[in-house]
Amino acid sequence: MTTESLGKRFGAVRALEDLSLRIEQGEVFGFLGPNGAGKTTTIRLLLGLLAPSAGGATVLGRPVTLGGAAWRGELGYLPGEVAFWPQLSGKRTLDYLARLSRRPPLDRAALLDRLGLGAETLSRHVHTYSDGMRQKLGIVQALQCRPRLALLDEPTKGLDPLVQQEFYGIVSDARDRGTTLFVSSHVLVEVERLCDRVAMLRKGRLVFAGDVEEVRRAQRRRVVAVFSGDVESQALGHFGEIVEASARGITMLVAQKDLPALVARLGMLPLADLVVEPPSLEEAFLERYR
Amino acid sequence: MSVLALLGHLWRRHRLALVWLAAASWFFQWAITRVVPAAAQTGFVRQLFDMAPPPVRVMFGEELVANLSARGFLGFGYVHPFPLLILAVWAVRVSVGALAGEVGRGTMDLVASRPVSRPAQVAAAAWALLAGLALIAAAGWVGTAFGLRSRPLEGVAAADLVPVAAMSLLLFASWGAVALFVSATRRDAGAAISWCAGLLAGSYVLDYLARVWTAIAFLRPLSLFRYYEPQRVLREGIAVGDVLVLSCVGAAALAAAFAVFARRDL
Repeated sequence: MTTESLGKRFGAVRALEDLSLRIEQGEVFGFLGPNGAGKTTTIRLLLGLLAPSAGGATVLGRPVTLGGAAWRGELGYLPGEVAFWPQLSGKRTLDYLARLSRRPPLDRAALLDRLGLGAETLSRHVHTYSDGMRQKLGIVQALQCRPRLALLDEPTKGLDPLVQQEFYGIVSDARDRGTTLFVSSHVLVEVERLCDRVAMLRKGRLVFAGDVEEVRRAQRRRVVAVFSGDVESQALGHFGEIVEASARGITMLVAQKDLPALVARLGMLPLADLVVEPPSLEEAFLERYR
Repeated sequence: MSVLALLGHLWRRHRLALVWLAAASWFFQWAITRVVPAAAQTGFVRQLFDMAPPPVRVMFGEELVANLSARGFLGFGYVHPFPLLILAVWAVRVSVGALAGEVGRGTMDLVASRPVSRPAQVAAAAWALLAGLALIAAAGWVGTAFGLRSRPLEGVAAADLVPVAAMSLLLFASWGAVALFVSATRRDAGAAISWCAGLLAGSYVLDYLARVWTAIAFLRPLSLFRYYEPQRVLREGIAVGDVLVLSCVGAAALAAAFAVFARRDL
């Protein structure tokens, strides 16, 4: 899946600008950004629900156009605000959507089992479902026909922690079967756990795209040192950025390359405790959006 | 394939409403055959109508007043606001529900992200619209036929009303196409229903006012209801001009619905 200078304007509002991405087959790609950053607009452009104002995109090697082409049968899509026909039962909903996909629902039974949607639940009208159950049904309809590419917009919204864990397993299994997954989220822990690569959007513009590991490596570590005696901690400032300092302790943000020198220097001081926190995507995210 | 799946879905969503509307249409036309005055009673009824003010006489139909007969009364059954409302409800319900309703609810995303072409969605809505209108119009005619079987009336046969029922179908097929066009341009059902109801009511009122108020009589051709006159159909048969106008308006509105929906953002 590729996008080339993809852009979308709604009147005077620029929802997305100059987005160029390439997502390889079989990878799990995280799409990060705060609310209103343009994540959902990007997904809707990739699906051909919106016409781009600039640029273009290819999905599964074919150019994206408005309307339905046969290759859409190889897509799975979970909308950010999933909605169903309230008067249909869960089973009828899944049957109808599988029929429209023109592919057999090979993975439906396994997905229902893993997400805890039983026959009794499926026989009920969707308007009786809780938000979490609707989200589970949304996940099943997106993945039931074993798509080659799944676009999941905020997939764990409304799911309890246990079901979220199960969902991570489902994504992992789908990737192992060769499905490419494009996951939009602002839950950073989730993206960090699920994704091979990430892109970050801000106000419709791409801020960063790269490996999750690469992001982590580039990110400064948070170092917390506690001393057993008084120390002139401000003198450590040349190793990195001091977040908080006192005579008995210091918290710093330090680049990976400066860590060995800092640790060696701390070893010469009356060190009582030392914590070097692993860099997280969340810190990278927050740093880029501050 | 996808049109059939979409049609099946529309049927499941609207079947209950369709059954009720068809039953109401059947019952109304059957009931009209119960209240049609017999030949001996028409003289009294004619005097009653002669005393009514012109706008009331126009509302009940020229033929009914000018030439009181069982045929006139039965024709009145097809121009009464109730059967027109039944057909209008179906035309607006299906057209709006299939496009603007799906967009507004958010379910359009699930359909449009699958290999379903946008023309297929409009086509499925158009077929459902036509099938339902045909059923409701046929149910009305069957009501008349049932009524005439149990209460035969001099000078009128059920077959005489077939062209009238066909014209009611054509009128609301045109309105349904207009409603599909409105629906194809809107983002939610509420706005689309408001537009359709406004257009229908405006057109109906324009037709009525242009008949009773000679100063605006020249505006009457702008109303689609001008081309649906059951009592004239009973008297003179179907006018080719009326069929042409209704067909052309319906075809143009349907073509516009296809064109707009294929190009719009969902």
